[in-house]
Amino acid sequence: MASTNAPAAEYAGDEVSAIVLDPGFSTIRAGFAGEDVPKSVCPSFFGYTDAESDSKSQFLFGENAIHTPQANLQIKNYWGSDGIVEDWDAATKVWEYAITSRLTSTKPSNPLQNGLNEGSNGNGDTMDVDIENVEQAEKPLEDSPLLMTEPGWNSSKAREKCIEIAMEEWGAPAFYLQKTGVLAAFASGKASGIIIDIGASHTSVTPVLDGMVLRKGVQKSPLAGNFVSNQIRMLFKQSQPEIPLTPHYTVKSKVQVDAGAPSQATYKTFDLPPTDSFRRLEEERVLTEFKESVVEVWPGPQRFNMGPSEEIAKNQPGRPFEMPDGWNQVFTADRFRVAEGLFDASAALVDSDNPRPKDEHTISRLVQAAVQQVDADHRPMLLGNVVVTGGSSLLYKLNERLTQEINTIYPSTRNKLIAPGSVVERKYAAWIGGSILASLGSFHQLWISKKEYEEHGASIVEKRCR
Amino acid sequence: MASGRDVRDMLGLPMGGDAPKAAQKSRPKPATGVRRPQGVAREVAALYGERPPPVAIYEEKKTYRAKRQSTGPAKKWVQQPFTNQARSDGLVLRHWRRKPTTAPPITSGEDTVMEDSESSEPYIESNGDFMKYNIEVEVPQFTDEEYDAHLRSNDWGREETDYLFQKIKDYAFRWAVIWDRYDFQAERPQPPQDDANGDSTALATLPFAPAKARTVEDLKARYYDIAAKIMKLRIPEVQMDAEQFAQYDLLTKFNPDLERNRKTLAAALMNRNMDEVKEEEFLLTELQRINMAANRLDAERDELRARLEAPAPQKPVEPGLTAFPSSQQLATLFNQLFQQDKSKKRAPGNGPAGRLSLSANEMVATPGSAQQQQMAAANRRQSVAQPPPQTPIRQLAPQQEIRFNVSTHDRLTSGVSFGSDKLLKMRQAKSNVQTQKIAAALAQLSIPEIIPIPTSKVGDVFEALIGKVGKLLDVRKVREKEEGECRVLEAMKTRRASESQAGAGDASNVNDSSANYTPAKSEVADSQDTPDVDGDGEDDGDDGDNDGGEGDGDADVDAEGEEDDDEDAEGEDADTSAAQSERRGSTSTRAVSAGHKRSASVLSQASSKSNKRLRK
Repeated sequence: MASTNAPAAEYAGDEVSAIVLDPGFSTIRAGFAGEDVPKSVCPSFFGYTDAESDSKSQFLFGENAIHTPQANLQIKNYWGSDGIVEDWDAATKVWEYAITSRLTSTKPSNPLQNGLNEGSNGNGDTMDVDIENVEQAEKPLEDSPLLMTEPGWNSSKAREKCIEIAMEEWGAPAFYLQKTGVLAAFASGKASGIIIDIGASHTSVTPVLDGMVLRKGVQKSPLAGNFVSNQIRMLFKQSQPEIPLTPHYTVKSKVQVDAGAPSQATYKTFDLPPTDSFRRLEEERVLTEFKESVVEVWPGPQRFNMGPSEEIAKNQPGRPFEMPDGWNQVFTADRFRVAEGLFDASAALVDSDNPRPKDEHTISRLVQAAVQQVDADHRPMLLGNVVVTGGSSLLYKLNERLTQEINTIYPSTRNKLIAPGSVVERKYAAWIGGSILASLGSFHQLWISKKEYEEHGASIVEKRCR
Repeated sequence: MASGRDVRDMLGLPMGGDAPKAAQKSRPKPATGVRRPQGVAREVAALYGERPPPVAIYEEKKTYRAKRQSTGPAKKWVQQPFTNQARSDGLVLRHWRRKPTTAPPITSGEDTVMEDSESSEPYIESNGDFMKYNIEVEVPQFTDEEYDAHLRSNDWGREETDYLFQKIKDYAFRWAVIWDRYDFQAERPQPPQDDANGDSTALATLPFAPAKARTVEDLKARYYDIAAKIMKLRIPEVQMDAEQFAQYDLLTKFNPDLERNRKTLAAALMNRNMDEVKEEEFLLTELQRINMAANRLDAERDELRARLEAPAPQKPVEPGLTAFPSSQQLATLFNQLFQQDKSKKRAPGNGPAGRLSLSANEMVATPGSAQQQQMAAANRRQSVAQPPPQTPIRQLAPQQEIRFNVSTHDRLTSGVSFGSDKLLKMRQAKSNVQTQKIAAALAQLSIPEIIPIPTSKVGDVFEALIGKVGKLLDVRKVREKEEGECRVLEAMKTRRASESQAGAGDASNVNDSSANYTPAKSEVADSQDTPDVDGDGEDDGDDGDNDGGEGDGDADVDAEGEEDDDEDAEGEDADTSAAQSERRGSTSTRAVSAGHKRSASVLSQASSKSNKRLRK
């Protein structure tokens, strides 16, 4: 008892069963505030079938639906290339699916009436019955305040759209919008710091001071997880002989072959082959696996294409990778090359579709640019709290390289990288920060209530969520 | 079950035989004798032997967690709707709370609401727990008139100033954030068009010219400037207390250029490249190395010095200075002598030339003395022991002293003392009578017994007043004495005149003396003097006595008259000396009577003055 009572004063939590929604390019995280992991993690990709084939359900959401090969199933993503939501209708639906599929839809009916407790004498307090329960149900978020996250560069139009959706379509009683950078910092227990968020579509660097984003310092670049995937594709294409990229769904059965030998798998046949977008999505899964198990960031101290680095890399033991169709090989120096582009634009693989990335988009340059926009007094403090988060930051040895790069740029300050060790904390840092924030008792006064929204309109989000 | 009795019965043994009893008895005996400690293994207990172990051994008993106090059925929790008092819109959120066993505590405010709507409307808790986190910063406010009169700036328009203040309020003085979000757009998109239409408005729109890129220093400078000006308007500079003045000083002293330079330097320091940082590191390590080497060298030198100055071993001690070959030994000798000198009480008549004596000054003044060297060496060795150099006392102008409420004291007694106590103490003289007199004088001046606000200033004034009262009392006493003596001499004169022919010198002498003596006594009683003054009066009487005796011996009227004059003068002299000794350079007694008259006026003057001051 004592252990649960003691920290109450510091904890200052007061949960109001708020829902935290953290949409990202790859996945959407949703869950109840106060929990430590999002309950619902859904892909941001959604399936879209043409109306004539199945007039009833046009959209398909969720892991199971979008990975099932179907004819004329188009896979889309609602995010725009600039890191701002593009397709709002789809976004609303996907988000709603993320919330309702795991969090709110399975609301238990009143135990007095659902027949489960028939055996008991059932003299429980009738006072318990929620009267509102009866007329509720058409809006998914009727009794949960919603905390949403947004990227640091979100436009004010997009922000207003968010509150509109939450208030009008979902009927949330209260709403708040917070930047992912701030929340990721909160998740690491920091109110100030530089947050390096390496996601799927974008890498962003956000200076945060006392829980507020320094907008002028926010930097983003497209050199992130998808960029690495593209690098791998190019690696496969440019290698001699070309490495075939075969997604799982095409393979019926495979046989073991020697390293480098062509695969002898039997492939599935489809009457109507799935669309290209579907294939691409499935290829991404293979590439994700490749990134997780093979790719490594060259840890320095020198760049990969400078000095003896490549020789050293070649002499290190390689990592084997087997394609779904049985093709396999051991990758040595190549596994460093594909990730080098994140830090060194000149080392990136290029082809006609993928031009050389800009120098200022490399992570180290982003950090430099972000720090440059901060008041000189705060720079050393911020550099002492560099938080690394995002799914793609899990690339092996990325932290070592990042430390190396930052120390090269700022040799005279005490730079400290804070990267949570656990995968969950790294991937869902922004959500966890939101979970912390929304469960605080002191946060109650920050919510934008429905009444305020009705009074001031959507523009209140600019005024309140600073 | 067959008991032992049955068995015995069956076997035909005697009932209640001795043998089994003895066996039964013998068994429990060792058990009681060697009381095995509980919870100790038998083998371990065997090791103890006969005696119990010197230290009591308790094996911690296996403890299970205390059984949960079940106080009835499981507690119910409900999702309690509540409002946060920090919100103005009455947003109702729900959090889990224990379901109250009885009706929820009814607060006075919601009393009526609760009663009539208890059945239909659920109880809504009002939660003020987190009110304390709802903090807003205070930003100085100003009116339009104040702005126009004092706060105008060529660089800043009114709108932008308001915008700045709003931002400061929003972001609670986080200047970096304020600067980051600072995006002032002059609220007049028309001016350019106006300019195009006619140039007459060009001047008017000048202050609203394009929004400038402000630096943090610009924002700070503007805010501090306004804050200082408003502060000065609200509280005049002179009336500020120390804290306010410090803040005001800080606000006025902000120099944006200095700040800008500082920041460029800081940035430059941060942006040094690897080589420069390495060089600095290298230099620092080099410095450290040099320091360490210097320390080592110092230590070595000290050791060497100590060895050189060490006393020569087993040398026969010879008298004279040769017994102290090294300077160190000489220094110890000096010290010994000095200590002896100090410890011995000097005889009163013993002059410095009487015996060998050294003062500390002499010792220190000895040029190149070993003492000094030693001290210097010691200081070098442990620089920590050296007392820090005294900071020079800052001299303040009297005006400043008053403003900062600085006061200097010769000696401060520890503890708390009350100003009223001080004043009370001043009222009390050495004798009761004197105290009463002072009290009477103060009453005459209509100064109350208890002075309401005994500040230090009032204390000073009161002290001056008491001093004056004391002086006046002294003067009065002297006058009374003089008058008494005059009376006595008058009486003597008349008596002499009447009895001039009646011869008998001795009798008259005695009478005289008694007559002379009594008035003096009575005078003393009248004046109610302090004891030493009393003694003076007696001396006076004696003087008069002797003089009278002398005069009688001469037995000449004229001569007596002369003598009288003489005596008068003598008495006066004595009085003067007495008075002087008492009052230390107060008004001379030559002009006693005049002095008395003057003293009244002085008294009145002083009283009026002091009264005024006191009233102040």
